[in-house]
Amino acid sequence: MEAFFFGPSQSYLLGVYHPRKTGHLDEGIVLCNPFGQEYLRAHKSIRRLAINLSELGYPVLRFDYRGTGDSAGDLSDVTADEWVEDIGHAIQELRDMAGVSRVALVGLRLGAILAARAAIESNDISRLILWDPITDGEGYLEEIKTAVANAQKLGSRSKILTPDGTIHFNGFSMSKAFQNSLEAFSLGELAQDIALPIAQFVSHETDEFAKIQRQLDHRKMFYSELAPAPHDWNYVDHVGGILWPKPVIDAIERHFSATTQYEMTHYA
Amino acid sequence: MREQVVMVGDDRPLVGVFCEPRAGELADPRTAVILLNSGVIHRVGSCRLTVTLARAISERSGLSTFRFDFSGIGDSEPRRGTLTADLAAVEEVQEVMNYLSNWKQFDRFILYGLCSGAFAAYRTALEDPRVVATAQLDGYCYMTTKSYLIHYIRRLRSPARWLKFVLRKLGLLEQKRGADLSGIDERYFEVPDFASYPPKAEVAEGLEKLNQRNLQMLYVFMGNEHYRYPEQFSDCFSSVRFGDNLKVIHRPQASHILSEPHDRHTVVDAIVDWVRTTSRALPST
Repeated sequence: MEAFFFGPSQSYLLGVYHPRKTGHLDEGIVLCNPFGQEYLRAHKSIRRLAINLSELGYPVLRFDYRGTGDSAGDLSDVTADEWVEDIGHAIQELRDMAGVSRVALVGLRLGAILAARAAIESNDISRLILWDPITDGEGYLEEIKTAVANAQKLGSRSKILTPDGTIHFNGFSMSKAFQNSLEAFSLGELAQDIALPIAQFVSHETDEFAKIQRQLDHRKMFYSELAPAPHDWNYVDHVGGILWPKPVIDAIERHFSATTQYEMTHYA
Repeated sequence: MREQVVMVGDDRPLVGVFCEPRAGELADPRTAVILLNSGVIHRVGSCRLTVTLARAISERSGLSTFRFDFSGIGDSEPRRGTLTADLAAVEEVQEVMNYLSNWKQFDRFILYGLCSGAFAAYRTALEDPRVVATAQLDGYCYMTTKSYLIHYIRRLRSPARWLKFVLRKLGLLEQKRGADLSGIDERYFEVPDFASYPPKAEVAEGLEKLNQRNLQMLYVFMGNEHYRYPEQFSDCFSSVRFGDNLKVIHRPQASHILSEPHDRHTVVDAIVDWVRTTSRALPST
């Protein structure tokens, strides 16, 4: 494992590289984080997934978007489009470090819809893996606003600040500029333009996940799996408890194991 | 401000980020601030507090900072050994201090921590004289007679509390703890182990030693059931004759993880000011 900063000097990104432990697969994997409190509580899972995939023979890069984690800046200055750019930087960094020609993107929650957008903007992507994906930017914003409103009824001081419209949710802020850039993201629409293998791993069933499955089910290169596990990434306690949804991590690992060297047996 | 990733130790290194002021703005080349993990959250800290604070100290106090993950947390691999987590934490902070001493010639350290990080800062200060100051958020403190009175009077005045009490006595309401409270199966939910809260007398004795050493101490207490009024820390440890080396801040509206931006900014500002003042008062030779 190697941790380092990469990317533009004004918006440097923290990256953690897990070199392949075996073989010489010509496919790397970039892991794309979710937003806010979900990111904090997913760190251990993302790290474990990176380790497991590197042991299968895939070089893996996980990283923090600008304004998050150890990367430069803060959330008040960033947009969703810039996070898509950051995924692009991570793809290039992994290609350079591991010498691979193609990169798979794995995205959790918000990271999934950002990865879908990045998959359209890059010619180097081999496949797209969606983990409990946010399927609609506008819907996600409504989900957050509803959660803030419900929390206020229970005495929370979280609030949507006016007049600039910044949302403060569980200790993390989302600027109006970020919201505006995210609103236009729709996984269903993005998927129409992605002619790559797509897999969806979900910890629970929702109408949104089912809709994506119905939309893509006719494709030969689509795989979907339900791996029941906890998914309340925004559960916030006073001691910083973190989620550990091992069944989903295992399912994604099995998927990459079964499709090593592009056998893509799941898609047959 | 300039940052670089640093790996401390050859085998199973501790992963951290060193942050230093811009050239010409380093106020004290002898002193560094080390920021410790809270619970099982990685070095970024609850609500990114640790990153925000580390950068603010470097930019506004002119000191270098280092935030890192203890072994088994965040990006640092678990290390096998016979030490308890409490003792391992002290050893690992000392390992980091040794590293920073060899690398950048720091010989004085200010330790910062929230909750379990505060406990580790306190214990390391007891073991190592290179620690000249600690900033502890929700560090060790115990209920006093006054805090018990405040606690129970508020409960007695609350109809909702009475209702819950009656329902529990009737067996109609269960006291929810841990996984029951979160609703998340504990196999899939990791929480810190806070089993080793020491007896009050032991902490009083430790504080007396640190006080005699003139350790500079900042304590910030947020709103919680166990800290009820501004002077509770002084009352709790009234046997220790603190001088100018103790500052206590009480933010009763703030949550333990400082989830509200206003609270976070206020606490960060207070720590940055205190670090600046404290470091300026240290001997220059």
